[in-house]
Amino acid sequence: MLDFLYLNGWGAMLMVLFLFIPFLIIFVYVVYKKSTGQGSADSASSGLSTVEWVWMALVLVVFVGVNVISISYMPTVQTARAAVDEANIQQVNITAGSWFYDISTPKVINGSNRTVEVGPVRFSGKSSDTMHSFAIYSPDGDVLFTMMLMPGLKGPTSIVYTFDKPGTYTVRCLEYCGINHHNMRDQLIVVAGNN
Amino acid sequence: MASPTTIVGNIPFFGRMFAVDQSTGLEDINAWPALMIMTSFIWLAVAGLLGVVMPLVQFLDLGPLGPNLYYTALTGHGAALAFPFVFQLMVGVGLHRMGSCRGQSITGPIPALIYIFMNAGSLLLTVAILLGLKISLVVMYPLPVVGVQTGQWSMNVVILGFTGIALVLITMIILYPIQVIKMAFFGKARQELLLSPRSLQDPGMLGMLMAAFVLLIAGIPLLIVASTILGFLYGIVPGALVGWAAKPVVFQFVFFIFAHNLMEAMALMVISAVYATLPLYLADGTRKLYSEPLARIALWILLLTSLTSFFHHFITLFPNLPAALAYHGNIMSFGTGIGSALSIFTILATIWKHGLRPAPGLMAILLGFVLYILDGASAVVTSNVAWSFQLHGTMWQSGHTMTVLVSMALMWMGVLYHHYPVMTGRQIDEQLGNLFVKLCAVGCVGAAVVMLAGGAAGMPRRFADWGQGGWMGYGTLILIFGLILGVAYVVYAVSLYRSREIAGAEFNKLLVDGGWGTVR
Repeated sequence: MLDFLYLNGWGAMLMVLFLFIPFLIIFVYVVYKKSTGQGSADSASSGLSTVEWVWMALVLVVFVGVNVISISYMPTVQTARAAVDEANIQQVNITAGSWFYDISTPKVINGSNRTVEVGPVRFSGKSSDTMHSFAIYSPDGDVLFTMMLMPGLKGPTSIVYTFDKPGTYTVRCLEYCGINHHNMRDQLIVVAGNN
Repeated sequence: MASPTTIVGNIPFFGRMFAVDQSTGLEDINAWPALMIMTSFIWLAVAGLLGVVMPLVQFLDLGPLGPNLYYTALTGHGAALAFPFVFQLMVGVGLHRMGSCRGQSITGPIPALIYIFMNAGSLLLTVAILLGLKISLVVMYPLPVVGVQTGQWSMNVVILGFTGIALVLITMIILYPIQVIKMAFFGKARQELLLSPRSLQDPGMLGMLMAAFVLLIAGIPLLIVASTILGFLYGIVPGALVGWAAKPVVFQFVFFIFAHNLMEAMALMVISAVYATLPLYLADGTRKLYSEPLARIALWILLLTSLTSFFHHFITLFPNLPAALAYHGNIMSFGTGIGSALSIFTILATIWKHGLRPAPGLMAILLGFVLYILDGASAVVTSNVAWSFQLHGTMWQSGHTMTVLVSMALMWMGVLYHHYPVMTGRQIDEQLGNLFVKLCAVGCVGAAVVMLAGGAAGMPRRFADWGQGGWMGYGTLILIFGLILGVAYVVYAVSLYRSREIAGAEFNKLLVDGGWGTVR
């Protein structure tokens, strides 16, 4: 459940609905109940102070909970954890330009330099001209992660992502970069290990 | 320059909607706001048409012309919506509020400069966009320069566009804050303009003041960087002195420090306006919020947490943005949600305790607030570091940006309904006002949910080929809900156009019953 929530765009959508729908129901109820052309007042408002504390406590619990649980799902944290075993991480270097990717993988597999094996991969990217991004989509069309590539920086943007399934993954640019932005894409092929 | 009242009177159709009633003696707080608001609606019409072009070109096979048209419409739609529509609408209604609550006139060179710079700047940028500059509403620096190098547009259109942007920035960062500060702290109150006296501590005023200082402080670094670059483009600043400003990391950070805080400042202003207007429509006539200290705390929390939440724009730049700063932006963004939670409670408790008179203006304000919370939920989710890596750059962000702008505009349009009789001496058509709210509810919520869903499904934003990933279904729904929203805005315009004159005793009664609290 947590994997779905934090590793999937639809999990994010679920969280939005979780935050919004109860608010909407209560808001519409209050406005509908209290809307009148003749005027009405509810003198039984002494309980509102308790409601206030309960409401704010609930908000704080949800906000803190959502953020604390998300820590282990942050690519930044996963990158730090994976870096403990640096030797087993495959390195992929990317240079983005208008409108192409120059991708170099650690070894040519099956005659392709766009191929990596299942397991952890460190993607390190730079831009040679304007703002770009390097986003990887799963074979099912979900965004696995995106990296912002800003030109002129000393070091690359870099994260480690662990592939657990072979397949053909689409690479897209998600930072608007000009008239051919929508055609800036590539492919990454993930194969089973021991190649 | 002709007086603003004269200019409004000479504009066909829109002028009829905002013609100032000179018999009330309130021209000094009505004239410039009326002109600004009228002009903002003209820009809304432009932005709306461009908004429809974007999905339409996706359905038609126009060859290479398709992306060209799409990215042109994208840049024009975003720029027109955010600045000459929403910001100018906010300035017009906000200054009118300030004038009537502080007894200060809106006259002299500063309001004139606000109007001229905002609209001339927007026109220059529009011309540059039509001549080929396609940089989206956030400039995407260094794309303007790279676009020249790759032959997408000429350096002349970059200079034209940047000049327009500079004029708009000067309006937002210098001129408007100075006008607000002048009206808040200087000059003696004129009793004949003081329709609804409020102190600066009043939650209905505090947000306006906070917003002015936020715009000034957060915007100065961007003005310095942008002026340096523009000076170089005009040959005034030598190349040797511009290198530091031209670095993408410098420009991007000062841009988003301002751009993010611009949105938060507009939120502070509009929440303040809600705090001021809601009590005037309470069923028992008390005209008081549930708790003014609570309302003030909400504004302070929103202000303090939003200042450094801009880091969430760069979460995916890791490790160039260190994880600690990314997480700081994450936490501060959720902090703004704490402020919103307090606002939710204050508003609901006020309604629960005192009852409500459901006038169209107030219902528009409340619908806008509901949308603001929907946007808030989408915003805090995408500012979480974990989710940001999946959602950044998708249609989720576009849904968030559009919803926050539409929600704030909707709240201001509701506040405008409240102020409209004082400005024009006319009362809106209430049936049409209610129809506007209903259509808006469908259009706004529908468009927001579809754009968020598209983003969840991986649909990229600012992307001229929705068919590439099977996203045309989302695109179709975006078009449908966008058209419903467009019809809603037309209904709003007609509700103003068909407003009926009120004068004399009826006008005076409105000043009292309509919550202005004064008898003239």
